[in-house]
Amino acid sequence: MHLRPDELIDLAEGTRAESSAAHLDECAVCRLHLAELKAMMSTAADVDVPEPSPLFWDHFSARVRQAVDAEGAPRRSFWTWPRVVIPAISVATAVLAVAVTVNRGNAGHGIAPLPAVVPAPVVLPVASVDLLADPQSAGDTALTLVAELSSDMDFETARDAGLAARGSAEHAVTHLTGSELRELQRLLQEELARSGA
Amino acid sequence: MASSLTWTLPGTWPLRTVTQPMRPAEPELSDLDERSLVEACLRGRSAAFEVIVERHRRSVYLLCYRFVSNHEDASDLSQDVFLRAYRGLRSFRGQSSLATWLYRIGVNVCLNRVGAKKPLSESIADRQFVDETAESASDRLLKDERGARVRAAIAQLPRKQRATLVLRMYHEMSHQEIADVLGSSVGAVKANFFHALSNLKKMLGGEVL
Repeated sequence: MHLRPDELIDLAEGTRAESSAAHLDECAVCRLHLAELKAMMSTAADVDVPEPSPLFWDHFSARVRQAVDAEGAPRRSFWTWPRVVIPAISVATAVLAVAVTVNRGNAGHGIAPLPAVVPAPVVLPVASVDLLADPQSAGDTALTLVAELSSDMDFETARDAGLAARGSAEHAVTHLTGSELRELQRLLQEELARSGA
Repeated sequence: MASSLTWTLPGTWPLRTVTQPMRPAEPELSDLDERSLVEACLRGRSAAFEVIVERHRRSVYLLCYRFVSNHEDASDLSQDVFLRAYRGLRSFRGQSSLATWLYRIGVNVCLNRVGAKKPLSESIADRQFVDETAESASDRLLKDERGARVRAAIAQLPRKQRATLVLRMYHEMSHQEIADVLGSSVGAVKANFFHALSNLKKMLGGEVL
């Protein structure tokens, strides 16, 4: 078992005595590794960086000064942001959560949803929904009349008639009970009679 | 502290004595320690940052030069290091020395640049300043050539190996400090150092040993 890289580094740097590594006495490979590491460290240590001209430093400081002047005052650290931002985010999240909760509760009671929270309703033409195709409604003469009367009804009209309680024409049409349909039929017939159609 | 200032007015005006508070004199920036310099800078004394630059510009430049092995890039990187330090001055908490903090910024700046740009080696002719007093011309030339080859080889090392070797060999940072700067373990630092030296040996062969 040869010496590990970290053990060889400790030996090469002298932080561990070679006498403490008995393996070195019996392993020529590790001895060679250690000798090469020491030689390479000596070679690297002997390499200087060429000093720039003494004039360079003044020029360098002037460049940094210009860059700093352009920068303005030191910015607020990222690590100091949480003191301001986290409470603000918490408050905003709480407000949003309350708004959504209230809106959901209101929607169940037929109150119009908040436009900022609930997505815009998907408008489907009522005529595209075939009420008579529903097996539960098949043979219902009242429903047949409603289907005929509402075949040309647009979304706005359906919504005004209370058919879009949750903001969706599809929902309004597909969630009416039989009694609601009959009531709708009665209202429509009254309206038709009044208008003389 | 208060002091009395006596103004002698010309003509027939009566002599008046005005007593006003005197501000304590601002200490000389060059006398301040690092933490005080940082605080002075944060209070708006931009000259304090100039003192910081003056104290650390050489060591930061040498660090950058070890990474890129040419003067032009080292100069640009050093400027970038100080600019980033200025931007992040509020985050300096004095837990490490300002030099170590600047090294950390320097290593990050260099590693980012090294990853984006192939290092340019500088020819001996491009060297700016040479101390001609100590050695003969031929000795100096040999040493310069050998140094240029070693620097070029170091500049070819993988990023973490290069950072480890530079910080350990030339800035005398402990393995633990290097681990903190690079965000790794002491064991990984030692392994990187070992591989850096081994790769350097392969690249240089026996020519400089």
